[in-house]
Amino acid sequence: MGSAQTLNRSMTLRERSSKHWDEADFRVVFLQHYTRIVGILVRLLGDRSPAEEVANDAFWRLYRQPSLQIDGNVGGWLYRTASNLGIDALRAAGRRRQHEEAAGRLVDQGTATGPLDDVLREEKCRRVRAALAAIKPAQAQLLILRASGLSYKELAEALDVKMSGIGTMLNRAEEEFRNRYLALHPNKEDL
Amino acid sequence: MTCTNIDDGILRAHLDDELAGTELAELSQHLASCANCRARFEKLSAETAQTGDLLTTLASAGDVTAINPAVAYGQFRSQFGTSDERQASWISRLFAPRWRPAWGLAAGAVVVAVLVGVSPVRTWAQRVLAMLRVQKIQVVTIDPTTLMSGSEPDSRPYKLVNQFIADNVVVTMDPGKPDTVSSVAKAAQLAGYRVRTIGSLGAPQSIEVNGEAAFQMTVNRDRIQMLLDEVGRSDIRIPESANGALIAVHIPKTVLSMYGDCPARHGHTISDTPSRAEALAERKMERMASMNNTNCTSLIQAPGPTVSVPPDLNMSEIAEAALELAGMSPAEAHSFCRTVDWASTMVVPIPRNTSSYETVSVDGVEGTLITETLTQGNRYSLLWIKNGVIHSLAGHGNSSDALALAASLR
Repeated sequence: MGSAQTLNRSMTLRERSSKHWDEADFRVVFLQHYTRIVGILVRLLGDRSPAEEVANDAFWRLYRQPSLQIDGNVGGWLYRTASNLGIDALRAAGRRRQHEEAAGRLVDQGTATGPLDDVLREEKCRRVRAALAAIKPAQAQLLILRASGLSYKELAEALDVKMSGIGTMLNRAEEEFRNRYLALHPNKEDL
Repeated sequence: MTCTNIDDGILRAHLDDELAGTELAELSQHLASCANCRARFEKLSAETAQTGDLLTTLASAGDVTAINPAVAYGQFRSQFGTSDERQASWISRLFAPRWRPAWGLAAGAVVVAVLVGVSPVRTWAQRVLAMLRVQKIQVVTIDPTTLMSGSEPDSRPYKLVNQFIADNVVVTMDPGKPDTVSSVAKAAQLAGYRVRTIGSLGAPQSIEVNGEAAFQMTVNRDRIQMLLDEVGRSDIRIPESANGALIAVHIPKTVLSMYGDCPARHGHTISDTPSRAEALAERKMERMASMNNTNCTSLIQAPGPTVSVPPDLNMSEIAEAALELAGMSPAEAHSFCRTVDWASTMVVPIPRNTSSYETVSVDGVEGTLITETLTQGNRYSLLWIKNGVIHSLAGHGNSSDALALAASLR
């Protein structure tokens, strides 16, 4: 994120009068962060194509927020925004599914049709996502970002919280998540 | 360190290898000597491992190693615009004022939606007139049997659109009630420009001067998409770039002169919403009345309104969505929108099966004559732009009647 900061400073002067990022600077940031952002979103949404869609949405928002709003931490802003959007999408998909299930329209979950292992793993993923969608968005966000490999320092920057508080926040979020996972799937299998 | 100042947060940080320096040294030392805290640490470790295992499952969802960010960037750019060729104009944009006025129907996709929602298609020509400053007029034919263009003003789609407008449009300048004036000179004095009359029809029966009006709205893409979903047109996509765009419309004073036996008119402005049901009923009656008033001829003069949109708003895409909503096929809308210069063109949609149009020479310029076939006989609408003022001559009869009347204008 250091290079993004440097880059950001150079932008501030030029872009003050613009509604957008400078194209070249934006491209650098895009190339730098895109893969990791999509990685987070794929975990949340399960598929490349919705993940890329949400990632593009996040980058588009970034593009239209010139330097001042970003306050020097482009990476943090992107992780926060993309995970927020991803969790929104996850929750929306969950609501849609509930709706369809209630209407008796959903016959097939469209899950993997390969070897049994794949099918089971896919089912497990679906449950994990359902539990993530059911807990507080901020907690789901913390968990997904941590699971995607962000360090405490990166988490603190992205979520604008104290680094010393991350451990406690993670514990609480995981507890919520575990409880919800068990509540949603009490008899299926153990954790 | 003692047991009391070792909370689960610190233990967790230790578990995640996030402790360093004295903190790490002190905690390690304490754990080595305190069975109680060690047990807590083990318990936490087991719980975290369970959750971690579940969350790790998600990593199997998709392989991101195959992602090529450069390719993704190309796709991003093609999806959201600002291709390299537009980069040059970007530089100039940096020095340009934040808002650049732009004209055209698409400028207010919303304006279009407003029009679709507020009035039946056959009065579109006049309604559109009140909205946009333009240099030329282009007619498109649409299928009147589709949902939005075919339904009655009190049907659900109309209600939804009206509600949408009520929630999203802010009137910044209320035109008030139209001023009915007794003479052309008085009208000109009020309007601030020369008011013309149809010579062969004598003095106008009535002249109304409509006050200046302005309104603005911020495009809320989700809301529009929701509206489209509700009217059963989820297939129409509003471009992401439109979200948050502020569209501001300013309408100068317009003059309406009526000749012959015309129904009483009321200014239907957006701010004019005392009772929706009442207004709708009134509009319906007015429409029926005007259909029967075969002896009524009207002339509207409207200096081009200004429509301000963000410079990066893709008007073509929005217009496409609007035209689809109005009843054009996606393919038609797409190919039509590619040919239109949205900065200067007013697009008038007319119903395909009952109307036809032709380009005519009128008032020394090129005009568009729209003819509508009704059971009571033909109705025409002659549109042209002279010196920046949009003219609309509407009445009953055939095209030669329209041209003869226009020729006697003074």
